[in-house]
Amino acid sequence: MLKYSVKRILGMIPLLFVISLIAFMFVHLIPGDPARLIAGTDATIEEIENIREKYGLNQPLYQQYFDYMANLFQGDLGQSIVTGRPVLDMLVERFGPTLSLTLASMAWALIFGLLIGVISAVKRNKWPDHLSMFLAVSGVSIPSFWLGLMMIQLFSVQLGWFPTGGIGGFETYILPSFTLGAGVAAIIARFTRSSLMDVLKEDYIRTGRSKGLTEFKVINRHAVRNALIPVVTMSGLQFGFLLSGSIITETIFSWPGLGRLLINSITARDYPVIQSEILLFSLEFLLINLLVDLLYGFLNPKIRYEEGS
Amino acid sequence: MKLSRLLTVLSLVLVLVVAGCSSGGDTEEDTSSSKNNDKKTPPSSEEGLTIAVESNFTSLDPHDTNDNQSYSAQSAIYEGLLGFDKDLNIVPVLAKEYSANEDSTEFTFTLKEGITFHDGAPFNAEAVKANLDRLSDPESQLRRASLFELVEKTEVLSEYEVKVTLKEPFGAMPNNFAHPAAGMISPKALEQSNQDLARNPAGTGPFKFVEWKSGDHLTVEKNEEYREEGLPKVDKIEFKPVPESGSRVAMLQTGEADFAFPVAPNQVETLKEEEGVSIETKPSLVVKYFSMNTMKEPFTDPKVRKAMNYAIDKEAYIKVVYDGYATQTKSVIAPNTQHYEEQEVYEYDPEKAKELLAEAGYPDGFETTIWGGTSSLKQKMMSFYKQQLSQVGVTLNVVPMEGGTLGDKIWGVDNPEDAELELYNGGWSPSTADADWGMRPLFSSNSFPPDAYNTAYYKNENVDELLQKGLSTADDKERGEYYAEAQKIIWDESPWVPLAVPDILYGKQDYVEGLTMLSSGVMDLKQAEIVSE
Repeated sequence: MLKYSVKRILGMIPLLFVISLIAFMFVHLIPGDPARLIAGTDATIEEIENIREKYGLNQPLYQQYFDYMANLFQGDLGQSIVTGRPVLDMLVERFGPTLSLTLASMAWALIFGLLIGVISAVKRNKWPDHLSMFLAVSGVSIPSFWLGLMMIQLFSVQLGWFPTGGIGGFETYILPSFTLGAGVAAIIARFTRSSLMDVLKEDYIRTGRSKGLTEFKVINRHAVRNALIPVVTMSGLQFGFLLSGSIITETIFSWPGLGRLLINSITARDYPVIQSEILLFSLEFLLINLLVDLLYGFLNPKIRYEEGS
Repeated sequence: MKLSRLLTVLSLVLVLVVAGCSSGGDTEEDTSSSKNNDKKTPPSSEEGLTIAVESNFTSLDPHDTNDNQSYSAQSAIYEGLLGFDKDLNIVPVLAKEYSANEDSTEFTFTLKEGITFHDGAPFNAEAVKANLDRLSDPESQLRRASLFELVEKTEVLSEYEVKVTLKEPFGAMPNNFAHPAAGMISPKALEQSNQDLARNPAGTGPFKFVEWKSGDHLTVEKNEEYREEGLPKVDKIEFKPVPESGSRVAMLQTGEADFAFPVAPNQVETLKEEEGVSIETKPSLVVKYFSMNTMKEPFTDPKVRKAMNYAIDKEAYIKVVYDGYATQTKSVIAPNTQHYEEQEVYEYDPEKAKELLAEAGYPDGFETTIWGGTSSLKQKMMSFYKQQLSQVGVTLNVVPMEGGTLGDKIWGVDNPEDAELELYNGGWSPSTADADWGMRPLFSSNSFPPDAYNTAYYKNENVDELLQKGLSTADDKERGEYYAEAQKIIWDESPWVPLAVPDILYGKQDYVEGLTMLSSGVMDLKQAEIVSE
């Protein structure tokens, strides 16, 4: 497993290299002159030129890419054009809040998603199933900006239970993580339901039942574990998405995470920050995929990571 | 893994994450939760004020800043030699007094004595020189270098006297000294790299910097040694960037914020019903307009341009776009801009517009295109023009473009003849509050894109000359006459359809006093206080 992991990690390097090139090209192909946007609405042409020169934006594109890569190999992600700060510092600062919000949201999502999914698979076509699936469809369809604002209205303004936004203590996590987790919970619930329903048709479940195990034991011990593989894949993917920071949820709840940084830097065409965020998100996805693959083996020991398997 | 065990583990994760993360923000937590519980109880002056603002701060180095929001936070920390009062008149701040020579090339400042910077460095002529040398150094590449590019040299005459010599006459120079970008930074702080200075400020202002966590909060505390007796009146101010306008309003409703800027016009009604919260308005310095490319048919003809002015109902525009929170503009600069001169408005008169169009040879109107931004407000504006112009036979194509693209399309053009631009939906706010910066970048023939913002490609030799004359003297009365004349000519020739001056809208708890917004969009924090009954 270790050998497999090392191989996978080494394999990421050329991939990241390609991603960096694509990210660089795309970011520079978006129309818009960062110098003009950053110089402000009533800047003089000299001020705009100054910014171009300071950040090497007047260099030919290949030169800019070359400089960018040369710095990247030394662990230097460059400087933000907007704030002049090292991009690495900014990413580190924003990563913590996004990670903690992601973990909290994923925990919500998994608890609710699995419970709802299992209940509706077991009580198939009875009212708990219909109720659960109604909740799941709502969770997927309700846009997060609406849900977020409604939660603020209800729980902050009317009831005064939680703050409207910002990062701080326990209470600041409830509303944003619920808003962010609701959609994911719905997806997980639907996956769990369909996967579990497939498993429940299997022979070994019938065997379990016929040897007199209680229904709870059958589900709890035998069925869920086998139904989890597609759910884990899906959750891993969702985890990756959340880890890239949610632009909408972070904006509504004034959360100082990566999503807000991304939208701000795109609006300002802050090239170094956008490029580095894309690179970071790709890296996150690659690592999560690896983690998910390793989890398969844990869930089903028959899955091995040797070559040719 | 068993389901029951998995769920237990997940619940533990949730508890751990939330508990683990909460240790980071414990200091903030106390104030926010306590405020939340006893709704609308004024905080004590020790707890201080919480101000919700729209976007992230970019820098605390005033010389290298160009957004009003960062200037607002900086205004707590820094002061300039001169400054603006509530009505945007220029007043001495760190200077006791100042004088200019006749052709406005030499400015002499006498400084107030006995002032120290937050880091202990004394404020004196050497400190001023260090600041102005930095601002006027062409190599410095500072964001606001242009305000001081005309400075040839700064000389220390005595410990508290400085003389600034310009390369050429510039009558509006006092406005540049009063601009928030001209804040005086401690010479000790200036020794840091630019990057460090942006986050470790030291000025002479009423508040000292405490901490800044990007995207979350920026805190300043009372400067105990502030030179004015009894000021500041609160011990602490915390700024919180809250990008979503609905969330800012919610913070006022819950009492989490004591002051919020800006408030969207469509949320005013919600807040009006809220007890203990008031909405205040102030006319801004922004002029909303659409320009017509005077080098392109049919806008080469002044009659057509006037017809466009008669065809738009400005009062309706203000209701539709700003829910009434704006005033009709009666010149090409806003009333609070210096040397503003009111003109006779083009009253809404579609019949007259049709007549003028017929006289100009377009009895059946014509088709044209407007470019502008993509925000819902801007799209609303442009749809409104489309509806209004259709009444006089003009078919308007509305083309909203994302900011970067729009910039490329307009300012990526080197020759005026190559410009595709016909109409441009724009807005302008002169950050120095002076007529020069309100007009020269927009109407001088040296200001065609890409150099500046004359999107009408308007060229009039008289206007060019008057704008130049306005710069060549420091005599306010004389300058006033030149700018009045220039405004009249431009108004008459109508390269724009000037529409409105939007209000600055902000909300505050009733117990907050003395804290206001200047028309320039910068906060005035010095007198802020919490009044408990």
